[in-house]
Amino acid sequence: MKSVALCCALLLAFAAPVLAHETKGPNGGAMVDAGAFHVELTVKDQVIDVFVTDASEKPVTIGGAKGTAILIVGGKPMRITLVAASGNRLSGTATAPLPTAPKGAVQIQLPNGTSLQGKFH
Amino acid sequence: MRLFFNAAVVTALLYAWCAPAAWSHEGHDHESPPPGAGVSSLPRAEATSQDFELVAVARDGKLTIYLDRFGTNEPVINAAIEVDAPDGQATARLVGDVYEVEAAWTVRPGNNDLLFTITTPDGADVLSTTLVIGAAARSAATETSAGSASTGLRGRLTSGGYGVFGIAALGFLLGILVMALATGRRRLVAVTSVAVVGLAVLYGGQAWAHEGEDHGDAPVSSQARVTRDVAQRLPDRSIFVPKTAQRLLVIRTEIVAPTRHARSLELPGRIIPDPNASGYVQAAVSGRLSQPPGGFPRLGVSVQQGDILAYVTPPLTSAESSDQRQRQGELDQQISIVERRLARYEKLAPSGAVARVQVDETRSELEGLRDRRTALDRSRRQPEALVAPVSGVVAAVNAIAGQIAETNALVFQIIDPHRLWVEALSFEALNGVTDASLKPGGAKSYELEFKGSGLSDKMQSLPVHFAVSNDATGLRVGQLVTVFVQTSETTTGIALPRSSVVTGANGQSTVYEHTQAERFEPREVRVMPLDAERVLIAAGLDPGRRIVTQGAELLNQVR
Repeated sequence: MKSVALCCALLLAFAAPVLAHETKGPNGGAMVDAGAFHVELTVKDQVIDVFVTDASEKPVTIGGAKGTAILIVGGKPMRITLVAASGNRLSGTATAPLPTAPKGAVQIQLPNGTSLQGKFH
Repeated sequence: MRLFFNAAVVTALLYAWCAPAAWSHEGHDHESPPPGAGVSSLPRAEATSQDFELVAVARDGKLTIYLDRFGTNEPVINAAIEVDAPDGQATARLVGDVYEVEAAWTVRPGNNDLLFTITTPDGADVLSTTLVIGAAARSAATETSAGSASTGLRGRLTSGGYGVFGIAALGFLLGILVMALATGRRRLVAVTSVAVVGLAVLYGGQAWAHEGEDHGDAPVSSQARVTRDVAQRLPDRSIFVPKTAQRLLVIRTEIVAPTRHARSLELPGRIIPDPNASGYVQAAVSGRLSQPPGGFPRLGVSVQQGDILAYVTPPLTSAESSDQRQRQGELDQQISIVERRLARYEKLAPSGAVARVQVDETRSELEGLRDRRTALDRSRRQPEALVAPVSGVVAAVNAIAGQIAETNALVFQIIDPHRLWVEALSFEALNGVTDASLKPGGAKSYELEFKGSGLSDKMQSLPVHFAVSNDATGLRVGQLVTVFVQTSETTTGIALPRSSVVTGANGQSTVYEHTQAERFEPREVRVMPLDAERVLIAAGLDPGRRIVTQGAELLNQVR
């Protein structure tokens, strides 16, 4: 079972840059390309989590990173501030319940000055 | 010797002209510029979504944002745009049909991630893009001289350095060598051969050493080549059209999809008047024309059915007039005889010598004779009136006062300009005509109603009649037109407006695909007639592409 999951993850890891489309990430959210990185977005009620991984799906430590997520909720844009939580995760809280697969974009400033952004369809 | 020199100079010049392109230029060929870059001096970025297409251009510390509909390329001017730039968040303001936002960060080189939050009355969208401000781009932006001068011979001589002179010298010597060989001067042949080999070895080393430099220079020179934001055709035949130019040329596109269409035929035709709403005014007898009280109707005057348009007075020949005079004398004589007889009978009638019946018969005989006499007078004077057979407009006038009109001569033609027909010629019997239309050159197209088709050949084809069912203004009788007929057979394919198909430089039918926000690529296609407004793309186009439907002719002019 574990090997199947690994195979799937590997397949996704290779498929993502080739298709440059949204795929399912290891945390169950939508994952997109963001420059040299991958960004995965998960939504739980009003809390959104953004995971940053590098091109080979390895988590990137992002202590001190900050970012913004702009999501389209009910035909209106909603701006959510993201702060580094733990490991490769940034977290933010919305003011209203969010759809499970929101449309929008995420912009993240890493502590070393590089910025990355991903767009979710 | 002068001949030698001339020949050598010509060869030298030819070598110098060809050499840099053939040899020292080698390094440029695999430097194909990325889309959008290398064609404009101004740093720009583009982003697209399902609904929108956005182009951001950095100019003088400001970011100009062009927002258009993705499918149609129509400018969107009712949106609110929030920009998340490296300096923070800002709201763009609408200036004319573009959005502008202050952006001091555009003067620093670097990669800038941008997020655009677009809110329109019918929804919101987020677009992301990266604007690269390069050092080369900035220096090119400040330069004003165009780099195109370096393509001339002078430019090559200055940019190529002494290498070009070396090649020219080699050409010069080769010219002498050839002439010497031709005239058989052996000593000259030997001397020049040595010189040629020497120069070739010398230059060969230089050429190798030179190649490395070109790689480094290439990006700068390609940036400097164009310093203005103008529409231009790129070496790969695609066209770079900045959004400013797209707005000026009113470029509109359409996402194409295959649909079912009725099979269409093109028939040659001619406009004819509706036979029930037009008429000829002809003289039944030969005679002299004279005008009615208001004069002859002029061209274009509308007349009502029954209006008198002209009079025809038959002339009297000498035979006819003598005949008439003779008849007149005879009648006058008979009338006086019958009058006298009637007077005598009336005197005798009371005595009973003459029957009452005889008196009455004589009286009616006299009346008959008098009627004939007056009719004879009237026929000599009364002309024939030519009346309008239908209501309409006078389309042809052949009347001049005093003119003798032959029998059956066409004096007036009357046409109702709102009721016109088309007589088309078809090479096959038309079955199940569902729709027909015509478009004579201009922008207006006319709907046609199928009236019927003949069964007997006319010029080896069948005449088919259509009535113009909408306003027929702009058509004229006798005009040659092309009728587009849709039959009940159907075909599936991509339909495009006729204006989107243009003739390319090679004469092939071409459409322009909107491949990137500011780039259009020509696509050769095979077209089939569909109707007056549209053509069917039979081959050369995949569904889902954005094809220019308006302004294609203008795009085709971009050099």
